[in-house]
Amino acid sequence: MDSETVKPSKYERFRIETRPAPHVYQIPNKFDVSARKLRLAAMLVHEAFEYKLNKEVVLSRPCIYGVFGGRFGGFKPLKHKCVGCMRCVQEYPHIMTVKHSEEYKGLGDSFWTPEAVFTIWNEASTGKIPVKGMGYKGAFGGEGFDGIWTDMSEIVRPTRDGVYGREYISTCVDVGRKPTSVDFGKIDHASSTVEIPVPIIFDDLPALEFDVWNAVGKAARKLGTFFVTHDQTRGEDYRERMIPIVDDNSIYETLEKRPSIVEYDGERSDLFEKLSDSLPSSIVIARVPLREEAGLVACKLAREGVHGLHLYADYHGQDYSEDPRHISESLKEVHQLLVKEGLRDQVTIIASGGITLAEHVPKAIICGADLVGIDTTVLVALQAEFLGETQKRGTYKLRPRRVDLAWGTQRLVNLFGVWHDQLIEILSAMGMRDVRRLRGDIGRSMMDAELREQSFKGIAWAT
Amino acid sequence: MGNLELIVEKHSERIHHGLEVLPTLRHGLPEGLGNKRWTAELILATYEMALTGDLPKNGLEYKTGDSGGGFDVLGWKNNGFAKIDQENVDLSISLNKRVEGRRIEIPLPIYGGGMSFGSISLNFMLARARAAKKIGIYTSTGEGGYPDAIVPYRDHVITQVATGMFGVREETIQYAPIVEFKYAQGAKPGLGGHLLADKVTSEVAKMRESSMFTSLYSPFPFHSVYSVEDHKKHVDWIKTVNPRALVSVKVSTPTDVDMVAIGSYYAGANIIHIDGGYGGTGAAPEIAKKNIAMPIEYAIPKVHDYLVSEGVRDDIVLIASGGIRTADDVAKSIALGADGCVVATAEAVAVGCTHCGNCERGRGCQVGITTTDPELSRLIEPEWGETRIVNLFSAWSKRLRSILAGFGLESVRDLRGRKDLLVRYK
Repeated sequence: MDSETVKPSKYERFRIETRPAPHVYQIPNKFDVSARKLRLAAMLVHEAFEYKLNKEVVLSRPCIYGVFGGRFGGFKPLKHKCVGCMRCVQEYPHIMTVKHSEEYKGLGDSFWTPEAVFTIWNEASTGKIPVKGMGYKGAFGGEGFDGIWTDMSEIVRPTRDGVYGREYISTCVDVGRKPTSVDFGKIDHASSTVEIPVPIIFDDLPALEFDVWNAVGKAARKLGTFFVTHDQTRGEDYRERMIPIVDDNSIYETLEKRPSIVEYDGERSDLFEKLSDSLPSSIVIARVPLREEAGLVACKLAREGVHGLHLYADYHGQDYSEDPRHISESLKEVHQLLVKEGLRDQVTIIASGGITLAEHVPKAIICGADLVGIDTTVLVALQAEFLGETQKRGTYKLRPRRVDLAWGTQRLVNLFGVWHDQLIEILSAMGMRDVRRLRGDIGRSMMDAELREQSFKGIAWAT
Repeated sequence: MGNLELIVEKHSERIHHGLEVLPTLRHGLPEGLGNKRWTAELILATYEMALTGDLPKNGLEYKTGDSGGGFDVLGWKNNGFAKIDQENVDLSISLNKRVEGRRIEIPLPIYGGGMSFGSISLNFMLARARAAKKIGIYTSTGEGGYPDAIVPYRDHVITQVATGMFGVREETIQYAPIVEFKYAQGAKPGLGGHLLADKVTSEVAKMRESSMFTSLYSPFPFHSVYSVEDHKKHVDWIKTVNPRALVSVKVSTPTDVDMVAIGSYYAGANIIHIDGGYGGTGAAPEIAKKNIAMPIEYAIPKVHDYLVSEGVRDDIVLIASGGIRTADDVAKSIALGADGCVVATAEAVAVGCTHCGNCERGRGCQVGITTTDPELSRLIEPEWGETRIVNLFSAWSKRLRSILAGFGLESVRDLRGRKDLLVRYK
């Protein structure tokens, strides 16, 4: 074949361009290193005699990370360099103390642990997957997402190496209604879907500054994802990536702007009728709070013809039931009821509330979501200040700081890049090529509570 | 003596002194030390056992951590058993239960796990090999090759064949009494080995036949093994090169770990080694450590029960690893259904590890365990490390004997699958 007639391929492998976006607001030191100064001085005198004033030996420091590399050595340790290795304590237990700093311990709230805050900061700042030595250090299992382990393939499954090379693993998801059969006699406007390259969108965050929304909007454009907002003046330069939440006040503006995806309060069937009649090419998604009867509501809405359901819990991942449950539980329930009723494949499920770490994305998808929305995580990535509890939508106590557009955008792009890579790690460990296969695949997960009962069966309770 | 020698000597002495003093609690419990799995007390208790060869006598908790689940919520029944003399308790286990093949027994139901050259220093590798020889157990090369310095200990060294095939040569297979296929690792199941660029020095690169200061990612899985039949070809290959070697198959803990175990049995493995999700690593993505594959406490009964139901349990050795921190963890694993355990992190703690988790860094470990830095590596003298590891296992033996004697069991083999001797705490 004549080489001139071969057209270059338009194929481009999806990747998210991360690059460093260092913290602009100082972060607390993780560790607090201190020396008892009199004992330190006495030790130096003692060592001066012991090593016959050999300065190099006497002043060789018990830290390989440079904590005592400042002008005043141990008298004024460079605390920001401490990684908590404890060697100084091992060598001089009578002089040195290393502990987690009070500022570090005070980070976050009852849900956001200091470690989770640090993780998000580092992911947003470096754009790199956290890789560390030593084994896992935390609690055994726990509630919600902490009580779920994902499966892996041992020998017989071929897919691997998404992050590092050879095989492509798709993280694309479709948002919209998928008809269950083809009707050639009818043009089905409702069948359109929108593809998003990564199963994460930005959920609504009430009472936010314009600069944050601009960063969110610009990041959404770069990433090919969407942001949800109740206020269409927020991020309006990035309107093509906006999913407005429509109410009586904003419906006419919305009809005029014709967004590709629109959300409305699931209880307002009148709004659904207006939207589906007036915006036949748009994807219409009902926002539904997760609570006891959410499954029945979801089935009803699916039968009425909504294209998607945005199921939300509070920002700590607790649903709105009288006896609140974790989003993983209530989401699973809704998903399974839709499956049972034969409706699941007709609607897209977006889940949000409490999706704060990379591992929550695959776990929420295993529980039945197609994709997730992130909320307070966005603000943490942008170094917002914790002023109290972040649980309630509308009154969360997380104050954004001033955000430079380029910096803020890059921080959010980095966050998505790192979460995308970690999603691929999970999928590749499972031998899956496509995140869509993970949806509701509870068989590829392991639940703490179930395993405990199976494996510890026959072991008596201590009296 | 040059200054470098003096500096190494100074810091070695100080560290050794600190490891003696810290467990006395004279200066209190160090606040920044430890975590839920390896609590400060557990770390200090391990230092104490490595120093004295005995169980701590000052009340330091040496049995469990504070993770709120798994081994940490299991205890022992304590009433109604006819006790026997601890001296009469036999801790040995066999590593080959098949009719054919060489007979190997180890005096403890424990041996050392794979830690590769490059992820750990040669001196620590030597300390482990020397200790294994002294006790009569085994240690494993990990997947980083077989340094010449450990050849003298080859009768106690397991050659690991992992997906990167680093250092896998005919002679290193022929050295080995046991060859271990590493299909997966608990800390990073479904992902290959991971050695970051900073640690790939010229020696490490030479051993692994790679380029210096370039990150090394082993593939996953073995791209020549997609079935039990392929796996059998691997086993046959090893048995052709070294007919006397036993074959161990190290796998992680997916939902179908029981199926993997039975597949390994039919492929001819002598040992099925299951490595739980909370095991150690020189470097792994954090997301993998916590979230992929089940903890070993849940995997052991699943595999044990399935092998029993298939009628092959007495023909294969089940070894558990991945989060075995104490003698009690070993005994609980056996009561849940394992024959024995593989440990690695505990050996590192014996020589000064603080479980700080900085092993992946360029200079790596502050006390010379997980490093390739020539100066830091010298902080561990192989003889000193050997003594510490031997002492630790000596203390563990005492605890194991005490548990077994308390139940009137004469052999650790009688503890296998005795879940009825355990209790659960809420």
